[in-house]
Amino acid sequence: MTNLANDFGVAEPELLDRPEKRGRLGILFWVCVAWLGINIFGAIFANVLPLPNPLANNYSAINFGPSLHHLLGTDELGRDIFSRIVYGSRISVSVGFGAMLIGFGVGAPLGMLAAYRRGLFDQIVTTLMYVFLAFPAIIAVIAVLSFWTPRSLLKIILVIGIASIPLVYRVIRAATLSMGSRDFVIAAKVQGATDRRIIFRELLPNIAPVGISFLLIGIATVVTLEGALAFLGLSINPPQPSWGNMINESRTLLSQNIWIAIFPALALCLFLLSLNYIGDRLRSYFDVSEVKL
Amino acid sequence: MSDNAPLLSVKNLATTFETARGEVPAVGGVTFDLLADETIGIVGESGSGKTVLARSIMGLQPRTNVRVEGSVQLDGTEIVGASEAELRKIWAVDVAMIFQDPMTSLNPLIRIGKQIDETLRLRLGLNKSDAKKRAIELLDLVGIPSANERYMAYPAQLSGGMRQRVVIAIALACSPKLLLADEPTTGLDVTIQAQILNLLDQLKSDLHMSMVLVTHDLGVVATRTDRIIVMYAGRIVETGTTKEVFAQHRMPYTEALLASTPKVSDASHTRLNAIPGRPPDLLKLAKGCSFAPRCQYATERCHNERPELESSGSPSHLFACWNPLPLPTNRTASSAGSEA
Amino acid sequence: MAVIKYVARRLVLMVGIIFVISVGAFYLIHLLPGDPATVILGGGDTPQARAALYKQLGLNRGIVIQYFVWLNHVLHGNLGTSFITNESVVSTIKNAFPIDVEMIILSQILAFAFAIPLAMRSAQKPNGRLDKTASAGSFTLLSIPPFIIIVFLVLIVAVKLKIPNTGPASYVSIGQDWVVNLESMVLPAVTLAIGSFVLYYRILRSDLISTLQEEFITLARSKGISRRRIMWRHAFRPSSVALVGTAGVNIGGLIAGGFVVQFLLQIPGLGFTLIDAINLSDYLLVQGIVLVISVSVVLINFLFDFLITIIDPRIARD
Ligand SMILES: Nc1ncnc2c1ncn2[C@@H]1O[C@H](COP(=O)(O)OP(=O)(O)OP(=O)(O)O)[C@@H](O)[C@H]1O
Ligand SMILES: [Mg+2]
Repeated sequence: MTNLANDFGVAEPELLDRPEKRGRLGILFWVCVAWLGINIFGAIFANVLPLPNPLANNYSAINFGPSLHHLLGTDELGRDIFSRIVYGSRISVSVGFGAMLIGFGVGAPLGMLAAYRRGLFDQIVTTLMYVFLAFPAIIAVIAVLSFWTPRSLLKIILVIGIASIPLVYRVIRAATLSMGSRDFVIAAKVQGATDRRIIFRELLPNIAPVGISFLLIGIATVVTLEGALAFLGLSINPPQPSWGNMINESRTLLSQNIWIAIFPALALCLFLLSLNYIGDRLRSYFDVSEVKL
Repeated sequence: MSDNAPLLSVKNLATTFETARGEVPAVGGVTFDLLADETIGIVGESGSGKTVLARSIMGLQPRTNVRVEGSVQLDGTEIVGASEAELRKIWAVDVAMIFQDPMTSLNPLIRIGKQIDETLRLRLGLNKSDAKKRAIELLDLVGIPSANERYMAYPAQLSGGMRQRVVIAIALACSPKLLLADEPTTGLDVTIQAQILNLLDQLKSDLHMSMVLVTHDLGVVATRTDRIIVMYAGRIVETGTTKEVFAQHRMPYTEALLASTPKVSDASHTRLNAIPGRPPDLLKLAKGCSFAPRCQYATERCHNERPELESSGSPSHLFACWNPLPLPTNRTASSAGSEA
Repeated sequence: MAVIKYVARRLVLMVGIIFVISVGAFYLIHLLPGDPATVILGGGDTPQARAALYKQLGLNRGIVIQYFVWLNHVLHGNLGTSFITNESVVSTIKNAFPIDVEMIILSQILAFAFAIPLAMRSAQKPNGRLDKTASAGSFTLLSIPPFIIIVFLVLIVAVKLKIPNTGPASYVSIGQDWVVNLESMVLPAVTLAIGSFVLYYRILRSDLISTLQEEFITLARSKGISRRRIMWRHAFRPSSVALVGTAGVNIGGLIAGGFVVQFLLQIPGLGFTLIDAINLSDYLLVQGIVLVISVSVVLINFLFDFLITIIDPRIARD
């Protein structure tokens, strides 16, 4: 059974390299994409949207349940929870995408180059990256954020982004390596294509699926990490809303008003779920074997 | 040959894989009998369905996405449709298989001795020390030097040829009545090939086994089989006694196969390049004779109608061809028959 | 032989990594804005304390010398004395660390106890009902961060069901009362176990599914041995390589990442102590904990790498 591919190859070898007709991505996939889109839209346009001020206290409307007036109710200071969630998504979205922008911006080209060039360059960079990989990233992030005061969103993005570089590097390098030995790359080399052409025309489009699915799962990881940092008071400071902040602040009030915990928790989980699901579907859609994250 | 009921009786056996690309009819209706003590050779190009046929005879298919139809009677027991629990009772003891690829067939993380022991202890009920003793005997029997030490070896510590012997030892452990040898000599060099085949011959007569010997090398089967089945695209295209197939074959495919029998110097598993064209895609089988596109004698009819197996003269000699080669009066068997 | 060479190579690499970590941990102090001594001493900025700190850190010398002064102290088991609590950093860590170990061991027992049997069953019938349910369930759990799990577990178990000794601040050391200790460990262990379970289940399941396609499994089947034996004896070990590898990384992550759970339940493990120290600006303690956690993570990874080569000696050969 293991030589199944070979057996197929006997019948019609050229079929192997051509992607076969794939199944569909499924409705759930598109629901997740839409949900992600809504979140990003909300994050970008929060201050344009007709939302109540997320910081405005209203002592006449404390701990209200969901109603037409306050879609998701109000918190212990009478602030509109829906509005706070939408504003809070700014933190998650910008930390998630920002940090991954740094991670991919540095890690991906390095990984591709190292895998493509091999040789000394690859050896040095890879060894270096593996040294950093062995370093527990969370601790590094916490340590740096706690010493590097005062904290700001930019610093948080920067620190998490840099910490993610070795991970991105490893995944992209492995993906490039596995591509480099494929027939179409070798064929291009034999035909005398320039390095630049091979990298951009042959390698990049083929690594993109792995890259994108890792990117999404990476964003989910970073968003989770930011939430954890918020619990420790190492992220954006209250009263500025972030999902992590909101859940954290709600802890002591849970037994009186459970909504102030449930809604931000739900927002966070659904956001993570759609990222994970999209990433996972893409990975199996492009038939990428499970890359360890 | 005796007139007993056959040990193995295969009728219209068809195995179809349901894959993402469509249904693959890997075996498309195969019928034959095998008597006790008899050896039958199955030959055909790579991908012609030999392995799938052998596994279907045993009932050893993946648990999903496969459909097996027809009937296989082994010593009175029906295999097709039997549950795995029922099959387990006859596997190893009544029917065993020598697996084709020694590099992937052994568990890499279990000492080879333990892999042989397992059958002895669990199927024959031997105790630990007896099983070990017997396993070492088996290793010795299949020609593994210093079997005592090799008992403790991991597969990765053995060469391909040695692993092939271990695979054989596993199959022989319970002295099965029927041995399905799936290319037992691939990956071995010629002298060892001969050794192993001789060994199988000898064991066969010592243990009164019947054997189905699968190969894509006609030279291998020439001197060791009573009868030969030639397969193409999952079907039998010609069958007869060894002599008939070598000396009086009628099917152009058989002829091509004989002409292309690899030279001893070729790496094993080389494609039989001498036959022009390539085996058909099982997903798109033509309605006529599957070999027609590659056949120099093909006519209109060959492309449109499938020929059935028919005999002409000898009842043991069947072939499926609209334009059979003329019966040779003075045609000699291909030179391939004389070596091995 | 190959194994010894492999382990030796890993060992050298590990020492290199620990060196880098030590430089990183050392340098943390210099990330502080302004004069490190002023910041570290905080309110306790007396001339004696300042002198002691200068001696401890070699602050008046060049930065390279400072590193070696610091390293020399560290190698002698001296991570300094906190100027906030006046306790030695090493003894604080010694009190906290066993709590992490207990929490992690408990959580891992739980995670493995559920993940392994479930993955074994799922893999036998991929896309069967059990597999689909378990996979969907684990996927959902994957998207629930531990801090949300713990918040709601506390609400349900401690607040609503009022099960004693499960809420925040109910931690009691194991020597004091082991029953209460175990009770107080239930929620953190379960929370950490959920994340680990999801990881282990998914890895083991997908690895088992591909192992079960292997030819050697078909051969094992042809021996007529029971399905159970095929699963446990023939399929589990080859697949457990991926599992153990994941566990190594994950357990390292738990040492580093257990702080949220500890923080929320006020369990005075390393993570809790770390957050506490950060809030109190007890920078020497922060530095010490960062060093200890990082080094333990590296050691754990090394240990699990070694474990993998025992399970599958072929790995050392490539
Ligand atoms: N599990 C499977 N799923 C789908 N197709 C399969 C499967 N197993 C075998 N086949 C197909 O069945 C056909 C026959 O394969 P088989 O392995 O029996 O050939 P073979 O005659 O043994 O060839 P070889 O000489 O290379 O061993 C091949 O086309 C193969 O692709
Ligand atoms: Mg075969």
